[in-house]
Amino acid sequence: MSDSDRFPVLSPAGRALLQRLREHPHAPRYTAECGHRLTAESLRRVRAFEAELRTTSPGWARGGYPDWLPGFVDLCLTEVPFYRRYGDAPARFEDLPAFDRADLSREPWAFVPDSQPLDGLIVNSTSGTTGHPLTILSHPVVGGCYTPLIKAALEAAGVTLTSGAGDVACVLVGWQQQAYTYPSVTPQQAEAGHLKLNLHPGDWRDPDDRARFLDDLNPEIYTGDPLAFAELMRLGLKARPKALVSTAMTLLPGLRRQLEAHFGCPVVDLYSMNESGPLAFRCGEADAFTLLHHRVYIEILDPDGAPCPPGVRGEVTLTGGFNPFLPLLRYRTNDFAALEWRGPRPVLAGLEGRPPVTFRARDGRRINNLDVTGALKPLALPQYQLHQSADGALRLRVRGRNTSPEALWAALLDLFGPDQALTVEAVDSFDGSGGKVIQYTSDIV
Amino acid sequence: MAEEGPLLESLTRRLAETPPDFLAEPRLGAAGVVHVDAVAADLLRALGGGPLAAAEVAQLRPPAREARTQRRRLRVVLLACWLLHDPWFAARSMGDGARAFLFSPELQALAEAADAPRIVADPDRREELARLCLKVLGLRPAGESEAQAQDRLTTISTAERQRVIAAARAAEERARQIREAMARQAAEEAADKWSRE
Repeated sequence: MSDSDRFPVLSPAGRALLQRLREHPHAPRYTAECGHRLTAESLRRVRAFEAELRTTSPGWARGGYPDWLPGFVDLCLTEVPFYRRYGDAPARFEDLPAFDRADLSREPWAFVPDSQPLDGLIVNSTSGTTGHPLTILSHPVVGGCYTPLIKAALEAAGVTLTSGAGDVACVLVGWQQQAYTYPSVTPQQAEAGHLKLNLHPGDWRDPDDRARFLDDLNPEIYTGDPLAFAELMRLGLKARPKALVSTAMTLLPGLRRQLEAHFGCPVVDLYSMNESGPLAFRCGEADAFTLLHHRVYIEILDPDGAPCPPGVRGEVTLTGGFNPFLPLLRYRTNDFAALEWRGPRPVLAGLEGRPPVTFRARDGRRINNLDVTGALKPLALPQYQLHQSADGALRLRVRGRNTSPEALWAALLDLFGPDQALTVEAVDSFDGSGGKVIQYTSDIV
Repeated sequence: MAEEGPLLESLTRRLAETPPDFLAEPRLGAAGVVHVDAVAADLLRALGGGPLAAAEVAQLRPPAREARTQRRRLRVVLLACWLLHDPWFAARSMGDGARAFLFSPELQALAEAADAPRIVADPDRREELARLCLKVLGLRPAGESEAQAQDRLTTISTAERQRVIAAARAAEERARQIREAMARQAAEEAADKWSRE
């Protein structure tokens, strides 16, 4: 693939910035090349999406549905091979079958509408942690639309991006043994720069180049996971971003506060997944996620597929989206939350990835994983895993070095009782993966 | 098809006049309203057949996770129940035949080709369901010879089967094109985006 494929639209200013980012004396050893792949027509669609996003409130009236839903259901049942097998539309939306990651994993091509041209097809593979590696078919417009969605979340936090040609708008940071890293530019942000970087020292000619490079770029925002942000704090950066956007892992309030204090800026916690893109966000002390995407309808379903009443936790289930290769019709995400109504719009409360897990204290008390999250909340843990073995012993594994083992012991023994068997381990990675982990597991049935 | 059955027109007219209750959503987990196993059990009782076996109940009351694969079949089973409630069958205690039809591969195949509303709306599909039902019960429409009945069933089934095969071929060709595009793109770079999951 050449630069003309990676950057179908590229002005002289964009080209100059790209060259600067590639040839910067303190740049890392980039491991990949990647561009936005947006043609003029794709860029027009991204801008149209942004215009619609700015004029449409996400959500729907209590007891109702979004206006676009009936037409979307018709499209799915007539144009999409997988949904067409359901037969005709039932009278009630809730009587449509739901599907899950295993279905998507088995035949991703069956979700492509008949009329969708295959131009611009992108294949994204995710390793997954649930036993179903996933191939997501996507389009450059999907990646392009992340920008307006992230900007909308930032604006709700009081942050407006103003970067333009020659500036760097966003740096996506990771902290992994191995990662794809590259510089790019963003035409939907006036060709400001965007880089995907790995803060692991092994990616750099000199570990000190990390701070030199980032200070020189002075990006408006950083996106990344809590683990990468914990590392970012240790670099001694002089430049200060306007905001951090946290994705991919649970961001505990303790770490969020530490990041806010360190960088002097808001931290936006983004709920996003490959299948749908960014869905919702929260910032500050908000206990619930505000919906972000105006073309997604969210239901909460119980194990039988019945919609949960407001305030009752169940599986987050999605309909809609912006991926022309993957229209979602009642997609069970394997994430769990409750839909609550704050004013006229719904929010997601108690959001946790993966199914709920019940732990057992020595005295027989059942302890929900939400209680464990609550106990660990004050701590600045970037990533952790708690497992209870059949004999009741707990094993907490922690990545990152910014919380003392004593504090972890105290938090968990306070919850489970002083005689609880507990081991705490610091690890460099979980099973060699730098991505998602299953946070809570138990051998006790 | 050895024995003479009811007039075909009486069965197709019955299907055309299917009441909404027999076109309602089958109960699948928490979704739907009609318990198809209960409807089938009522039918067999009315026709003098024995109760449903546990395995038969399980086929008519699948769990919610099977909704996407079982909804069409259950809707057509419900339609078949309405058809078999015709007084002609009730008067002859045809419980065993009715049971055989509800769980027959013929009915399953029809459900895969056409969903219940289409069967009701399309005269050829109504006729196909009525003739399939008679065939599995060992009957032929009144006034037709065995050969005539078989010929007519073959004709309408073949036309539908050809339509279904053509649609399946088109779908498989489209799936093949997508898989080939996926294979070509798998080695290519993805597109940039500002955050990762």
